[in-house]
Amino acid sequence: MKAMKKVLLTALIAATPMMAQVKEKIEVPYIAFPIKMGKGFDVVQANCLMCHSFGYIINQGRQSKKFWAGKVDKMIVHFKAPITDKDRKVIIDYLFKHYGNGKEQ
Amino acid sequence: MKRREFFKTAAVTAGAAALGGTAAEAGVTHQPVDNRKVGNIAFPEKRPLITYSDRPPLLETPREVFTCALTPNDQFFVRWHMPDIPTYIDTDKFTININGMVKKELKITLKELKEDFEQVEVAAVLQCGGNSRSAFEPTAGGIQWGSGAMGCALWKGVRLRDILDRAGIKKGAEWLAVQGSEKAAYYETPNFIRELHLDELDDHVIIAYQMNGEDLPYLNGFPVRLVIPGVYSDSWIKMITNITVTDKYKKLFFMDHAYVVPDNECECETPEKKFPKTKPIYRMNVKSVIGYPTNGAKLTLKSQAVVRGVAFDGGAGIREVQISLDGGKTWDKAILDSGKLGRYAYRTFRYGFKPNKLGKLEIMAKAINKLGEEQPLSKDIKWNHGGYKYNGIDVVTVEVV
Repeated sequence: MKAMKKVLLTALIAATPMMAQVKEKIEVPYIAFPIKMGKGFDVVQANCLMCHSFGYIINQGRQSKKFWAGKVDKMIVHFKAPITDKDRKVIIDYLFKHYGNGKEQ
Repeated sequence: MKRREFFKTAAVTAGAAALGGTAAEAGVTHQPVDNRKVGNIAFPEKRPLITYSDRPPLLETPREVFTCALTPNDQFFVRWHMPDIPTYIDTDKFTININGMVKKELKITLKELKEDFEQVEVAAVLQCGGNSRSAFEPTAGGIQWGSGAMGCALWKGVRLRDILDRAGIKKGAEWLAVQGSEKAAYYETPNFIRELHLDELDDHVIIAYQMNGEDLPYLNGFPVRLVIPGVYSDSWIKMITNITVTDKYKKLFFMDHAYVVPDNECECETPEKKFPKTKPIYRMNVKSVIGYPTNGAKLTLKSQAVVRGVAFDGGAGIREVQISLDGGKTWDKAILDSGKLGRYAYRTFRYGFKPNKLGKLEIMAKAINKLGEEQPLSKDIKWNHGGYKYNGIDVVTVEVV
């Protein structure tokens, strides 16, 4: 009898549809990345967070001003982020100040 | 403080990987960063992993997982590109659409995919082209991955070739554009599309709905993703919705601008003088990673110690893994598993030895593939601006006590 039960149970599991795991909306957790505060942060927040978390900023390594300018320009040119010229400069200065390596080039 | 030392001592906070870097040691590639801890928050269907970003999710597998031939689904790395990833899929209504230069347009439901086509399986390594990027000096742009932006799984699905045959490819067609469901915040942002030449389609290229015997985890591309064994993961489109057959190659941001290396013999350049011509990253080079012991582990003097890890390449297959305990002066063969998972999968290796000297000990692992290609020392790997294709000999430093 016991063996029979086991067989039945196995059969049931095998018959369960494979698509059982996502019957409802999944929730991606929110992570508070330790981004540095400072001049221009509000502009960074308004422009950058639309597309990506601060994790992207803090995990690039310390970089030159040219690097950060290139990243911001990539967002504008390739990803079509509507960043104004004024904001562009504020963002680059912020990134270089807090995540820069002290070098212009 | 040297950048490398900074990384070694850098703290990790709130599930975020730490930032490193001050004075750059110009041009010398080193071991990838290896001190990052898993976060304290688990993402859907995952255990806590090394967390670089939540939107889009970027999660790295910790080193100790790389002792098994198949990476558990809940520890498999995650990498998306766009902020808007569907968080719900109606599995009854979801279809993969085949259109363009085909005789008959198809809308294949998941049920049809599983019932109307031959079901095939392939074990294959999925690795981000930027895996181990943190090894490059000066810092290459992009997420500073350690060695865990990779995994190996048994993928089950349907040959892409069979699907295209069902649709019937028209004469003159040459290219396939495969698109996933992730979307940008702005309408104008280029979509994440991968183009494949029809000649690239061998029988191992599949549309997979299962990974290691389970549905694909949501964050690994549920319900279906492209599997191109031997090729870097930017080509393995997730949550596929559309495949368009065309006669012309369309220049794409991610293929022609983002995931590229210098198109020269060494695939290298310098930060001052970038090589003008580039090519998309494609077939993976030979690589191995030690899963045990991990950096900083303590081994007992004269105990029976064992080194374990995984090795793989772009599909030629692994011939040998060698271990050195004397800084690379002498190398000894490790024992490889049977290789029954096939040439695209991890070959696990193990190597037993007795530590006979107290103090720090460097364990090095080097894989050699069946073409005779072997891993270089990390210091011999030349720089490229995207920090792609690092495959240096893996080094783990332990302490014998």
